[in-house]
Amino acid sequence: MVSFQTDILPLKNELYRLALRITMNAAEAEDVVQETMMKVWNRRDQWEQIESIEAFCLTICRNLSLDKVRRMDNQTQSLDAAYDPKDQHVASNPEEQAIQSDRIQLVRELINQLPEKQRSCMQLRDMEGKSYKDIATILDITEEQVKVNIFRARQTIREKFKKFL
Amino acid sequence: MDYKYIEQLMERYWNAETTLEEESILRSFFRQENIPAEMEPLRALFADEASSQQLGDDFDARILEMIGKEEAPKVVKAREVSLTRRMMPLFKAAAVIAIILTIGGALQAPWDNNWNTPQDYARFQQDLDSVAAVSPIQAENMSDNADSTSILMERPKN
Repeated sequence: MVSFQTDILPLKNELYRLALRITMNAAEAEDVVQETMMKVWNRRDQWEQIESIEAFCLTICRNLSLDKVRRMDNQTQSLDAAYDPKDQHVASNPEEQAIQSDRIQLVRELINQLPEKQRSCMQLRDMEGKSYKDIATILDITEEQVKVNIFRARQTIREKFKKFL
Repeated sequence: MDYKYIEQLMERYWNAETTLEEESILRSFFRQENIPAEMEPLRALFADEASSQQLGDDFDARILEMIGKEEAPKVVKAREVSLTRRMMPLFKAAAVIAIILTIGGALQAPWDNNWNTPQDYARFQQDLDSVAAVSPIQAENMSDNADSTSILMERPKN
């Protein structure tokens, strides 16, 4: 038995991070998650037939995010309102902290410059720890294509990251 | 910890050859407090951004409210019930009790006619006679019966 409050609502943060990775805008990402929740709710008669409700939600979330990006591009809206979360400081001394936070910012920007498919693959793999198979289901592509996308994304990050060090 | 192993894992990570388990080893390694200085830059790759990218409880409340609104008309259907309609079961019960009392009273009546005095019995006999007078067929039958009994009674004599 799938329950909205225990099975679907708790996916909000995972959905939000994917939406954020695609739209690169906090307000838009929150909108996307809300729309995703409503869309999933309206299809509640199909829940029992869905193999993975999590993958189902992520697919809807990605599609709605892509719609949002397209609409934002049409409106030639700038991404000035892009989300800038507080950095997670790991290093102990202030100087190292500042450098570290710059590096985190850099990695985030590097990922954000990747094509959407590579970005989404990387988000789901590196941040959410999803298998190639799950990512393939969510993005509706083959596992091989997922692997290729992740390979290219990491190669690009590696090259660009090297230059900044 | 053996850093050679981490270096090897990193190389495989860049080439998208690591498994989920190996990637989780890398994540926990780079999230440690103390790692070699030359590896420090790579820390950013495995930074925990998830905890800073979350939606608050107000989001849950908003969603549940939206769902509640949509569900409400289907579940709660207010219906006006008039006083007479609401009292209907009571009326029915009262009617049933009234019927039982009437029938019970009617059945009770014959037993109430206890012939305490010969006059009472005579009056009852009189009533019976008047009934017989009103319905001649019944009276005829009675006389027939009387005849047949007399015949039956005569037989044993033969």
